Parts: sequence; structure tokens; C-alpha cells
Amino acid sequence: MKAASPPPGRIQIAPAAIAKIATHSARLSYGIVGMAAKDTADMLAGALTPDANKGVHVCVNADQTVTIDIYVIVEHGTNIQAVARSAANSVRHHVQLATGLTVQQVNVLVRGLRMASDT
Amino acid sequence: MEEHDRQVDGPGLRALAVAACTWLETNHEAVNALNVFPVPDGDTGTNMLLTMRSACNEMVPGELHAGKVAHALAHGALLGARGNSGVILSQILRGLARGLEQHPAFGTAQLVRALHEARNTAYRGVVRPVEGTLLTVIKDVAGAAQQANPQPADITALIALLVDASSASVLHTPDLLPVLKEAGVVDSGGFGLQVLLEGMLRHLRHEPLDVVLHTARHPLSAAAVSAALEAVEPGQEWEVVVDFRPNHPLDLQSFYKSLEQLGGSIQVGEGAANYKMHLHLPKELRLKAVEYVETMGTVVNVHMENLLDQVEQAQAAAPVEVQAGQLLAVVVAPGIGFNRLLARPGVAVISGGQSMNPSTEELLRAFDKLPVADVILLPNNKNIQMAAEQAASLSDKRVRVLPTRNMPQGIAAMLGFDPDGEFEPVLAEMQTRMAEVHTGELTNATRTVTLDGIAVREGQFIGLSDGTLACATETLPDCALQLLEKMGAAEFDLLTLYHGAAIGPAEADALRTKIADNYPQLQTEIYSGGQPHYHYILSLE
Repeated sequence: MKAASPPPGRIQIAPAAIAKIATHSARLSYGIVGMAAKDTADMLAGALTPDANKGVHVCVNADQTVTIDIYVIVEHGTNIQAVARSAANSVRHHVQLATGLTVQQVNVLVRGLRMASDT
Repeated sequence: MEEHDRQVDGPGLRALAVAACTWLETNHEAVNALNVFPVPDGDTGTNMLLTMRSACNEMVPGELHAGKVAHALAHGALLGARGNSGVILSQILRGLARGLEQHPAFGTAQLVRALHEARNTAYRGVVRPVEGTLLTVIKDVAGAAQQANPQPADITALIALLVDASSASVLHTPDLLPVLKEAGVVDSGGFGLQVLLEGMLRHLRHEPLDVVLHTARHPLSAAAVSAALEAVEPGQEWEVVVDFRPNHPLDLQSFYKSLEQLGGSIQVGEGAANYKMHLHLPKELRLKAVEYVETMGTVVNVHMENLLDQVEQAQAAAPVEVQAGQLLAVVVAPGIGFNRLLARPGVAVISGGQSMNPSTEELLRAFDKLPVADVILLPNNKNIQMAAEQAASLSDKRVRVLPTRNMPQGIAAMLGFDPDGEFEPVLAEMQTRMAEVHTGELTNATRTVTLDGIAVREGQFIGLSDGTLACATETLPDCALQLLEKMGAAEFDLLTLYHGAAIGPAEADALRTKIADNYPQLQTEIYSGGQPHYHYILSLE
């Protein structure tokens, strides 16, 4: 097969757009019951601009691949490893599908657990 | 009514769980085949099976208290949960355990309440539940149990009701989840739950748990080669595959029973009007099988093969010649033909491929005992990639996985392999070679679907160009020509065709002539790959 012809101009996908897709698929992933702020600055940003992608950090690497960190709350009583792995798979799949970019790494950082009695 | 049918105690629950797991084990390939959501990686059945096995392993034999058995199941499932569906299954078992924990034995009323708890626990694990999945099916099953009027008094009747509810719910999943509808499948995880419930019902009705009813829908000629590569059991050295149209609707139970009199490895595949029967038997019975099927209807096609002969050929390629200090290449290949093409000093070939993935352990076994320090592993299928990475991380040797996604890539990469070379330069050379080749695959569509703007009907021939659907047609030669056009064959010099187990040399040769008429500049080489599923695998350079 011949290589696809280059696009007539430059295409750039902003990290925020990628983060949106990542947040969406992480939130749909089973066992993930919430996103957690990465740090205080992230928390403040979330409070000031409700649209901010809380709990997701996207880094576009020099070689146009993407590294994604997601900070999540997991339902207590599920296998955290399995939940995190599924979420990472799902985020990778959906970001690659939507953007065509290669996702080099998805890091899932479990910031908390939700106990059934909390709800 | 017998007392034990109204009350389930510890051993009773244990037997139900084991039956559910066994039935899933028998049918998990069919569950895998449906997997398109959330990530289409074809492992739902396997994940649910591994989770269920882990659950069953946690049960203490002889425990009389049903609540404690339920608790052990939940704990085992939690520890062994694999994948999305496995985690949901573990939550379902957790809910059941919570509902049953006070009961040394339980009846239908308690089970209905426990199912409700299972549903709630499952839904608690996610913020925005996606409907049309395993979650929907447990919801519908729990709902049907609660609304049944009158409530069944015996367990068998209740479980039968659950099976019906699950199967109705599973059929409804494509209406709720568009990605299922587009792919023309029902939800795999939901179907997995249906299989688990069916296993319990079959146990209660004393029906066998080792017959494949939910046949994974791939061509059965596939079974020929993979089965032949395993040890042939005495008295089962011939394989017979018969396509037929039954005169009357088939009673599968009695059909299986009659076939069991003749031989083993029985598989029956169901098509639109045709059935395909596959069986291994002794030489003297091989014609009997055909005669028997003739009594059931019209025989359309018969295929027979001497398995012993195949195995001897395959084994001839087996021993690995390698010396300490040399590099070893471990290659996963789907057919005897490929095994022979690849076999040479410094190369270990493992059989496997689409729908017969070798496990991490099998991969590890292929090289771990050999006297080499450096290993290059070629999975030749994206589904084997993960197992290969795991095998690499478990070995003490320096193992690098070359991420080849199909056979032509693997073969191209192997052209750069030199057992006496240096690890890194050889690896780099193989990577370069692998990137240069363009791959086409010809197979049959296993379901009706529209993908990448191409509408495909089940059974049609389809062509894939570097893994992407390129064309769909009624005849194989047309499909091959269309695929070559899509791949831009006019701009290449060399075409290599590997024909599959189901294609004869004459048929392959006829195709070569057709290709030569259309692409006079293209030099075509034909090899027998012997692979299942794929009529042709081809590469353009």
C-alpha cells in the first residue's frame, strides 16, 4: 500500500481535546467512580473553570506520541489492578481511535477509594 | 417435589458454581468472538472464565454453609478479576454473597433478594452505567426474578427463568448500544452471564457440560490443522468434515449422542441452511460417519484427512537446532506450511494464531530451557503480543518482542535474522525488513457488518489490507483481485501468496494465472501456508 498523502496543511490536536476524550472514556470505565484532582492547582482550576479536564494530564511528546496520566477514584471492593488496567486500555483505545495519534503510555494513578457506605 | 430442589446448601452452591464455570470453559470462545466493547480485543470470555475459575478455586471443599461458600466465591473473584467483564462479574458475586451471608441454606426467595443485591452492587461500581452490557443483563435477570408471579418454589424453575430472562436481555443489547448493532453482535459480557446461568441449569437437569453448543462462528476447516498439531488420540487418526442440509430440524442432543458412538472431537457448526459436522475417528469408521449423516439429510461436501500423517510432518519440523552463544528466534505460526518455511537452525516455531493463541507458559516453554542467552520473539498476531511481552518479562534471558502483527511481517523480519549475529544489529535489521512489507489477508466474514464504509454480509469473502477491511465479494478470485487493486499492486514487483489449509494447489495456481493477466509486471510466488481461517495471506514488496 502507498503511504497516505500528507494533509494539505498542519493538523494539531490540543492536549485539552485529547484530555476530553480520555476523561470521557475513563468515566465510562467500570470501577472508576470519579476523577481526582492531580494537585491543589488542578483542584483550583477545576473550581474556577468547570470545563477543565480534572484528573487528566496529557503530554504530547516530541515524536508526536501521547502520554496520558489519569487520577481516579475506584470503587472499594473491586480488584483495583484489573479496574485500572481496563481503564488504561479503554482510554488508549478511544484516544487512538479518535485522534489517530499513538498513545505511548496511559498511567492510572488511584487517588482514592469510595466505600459503599459513603454513598 | 424433592426437598433438595427447594433448598441449596453449601455443597449445592459449590456444584452450581463449578457447573457454571465448566460450561463457560466449554463455550468461552463463542463469548470471545462477540467482543467489540469497550475495546474490541476478543478476550471477554477468557477474562470471565479466569475470574470464575479463581472464584471456584477459593471454595473450601466440604463447607456446608451456603453463605460461606458464596463469600469464598466473591473473594476468589475479587482476587482473580480480569478485564472489565471480570470486574463486573466479581461485583455480581459480591452482591450475591452479601445477600446470602446469613443463610446456611437458601431457597428461591432468598436467591431473588440476593440477585437484587447483586444488581445494586454491580451498578455501584460505575458513575455512568453503559446500557446494553453485562450490567443491563444482570439488571434484567434480577428484575425478572423479582416480578415473576407466582414466584417459582424450586431452584430449577427459578434458574430456568433466569436463563430465559438473560437470553432475552442479551438479544436486546444491540438496541441499547449502537456499537454492537453496527458490528452485528450481541454484548459479549452479557452473553457470558447467560452462559454461566445455563451451566447451572444444565447441572440441575443432569445435562452434559462438555458439548460445544455456542459454536464460535469460524470456518471449521480451521479445526483441522490446530487439532492435528495436538497429539492424535489412538483410534481417532482420521478427521472427517461433512457439510450437509438436514431434512428435518436437527435434534442436537441425539445427533451428538450418535456421533459419540463413532468418534471424538465432535463439533457441529450451524450456518444459514447448512450444517458442518467435524469428527475424529478410527480409519475403519470414516465412511460410516458419512453414511450416518446421509440418513439425516443431503450431504453437500465431505473432507477427510489422515491426521497421523499431518502430525508426523509437523513433528519433523519441531526440533530446534541452536548452540550456546547464538541468537534464537521464536516464531508463532498458524500452519504446518509456515512451520516448514521457517524451520532452520536458530529458529523455534510455535503453532498458534487467530483463535488459537499460545499462552505465556507455552511461549516460555519454547525457549526457556534452550542454551541461549538472547531471544527474539515474533508473535505474528496482535492478540499474542501481550502473552509474548509477559513471557519476555518472566524469562531470565534477554528477550525482545518484535511486534509483528501477521505472518508476512514475521517472514519478512526473519529474512533479516542471523543466529550468529549481534543482538541489537540483528534486531534493527529485522525491524527494517518488517516495515517494508505490505500485507493482505483473504478470509470469510463471520458476521454481517458495515466497517469503514464497506457493507459485508456473513459468509462473504473479504480482503484486508494491512489489517484494514478493503473489499467484500462473492467469489475468492474476485476478492483477491480487488484487494490487490486496493493495495496498489501495479506499483510492486513481487507478490508472495501463502494459501491456507482449505485451498488446494490447483486452485492457487488458477489464481496465479488470473493475477498474471492483470499484473504482468508482478512476479508471483506461491507457498502452502497451511493456515486456518485465511484462504490466502499475501505480501507485496
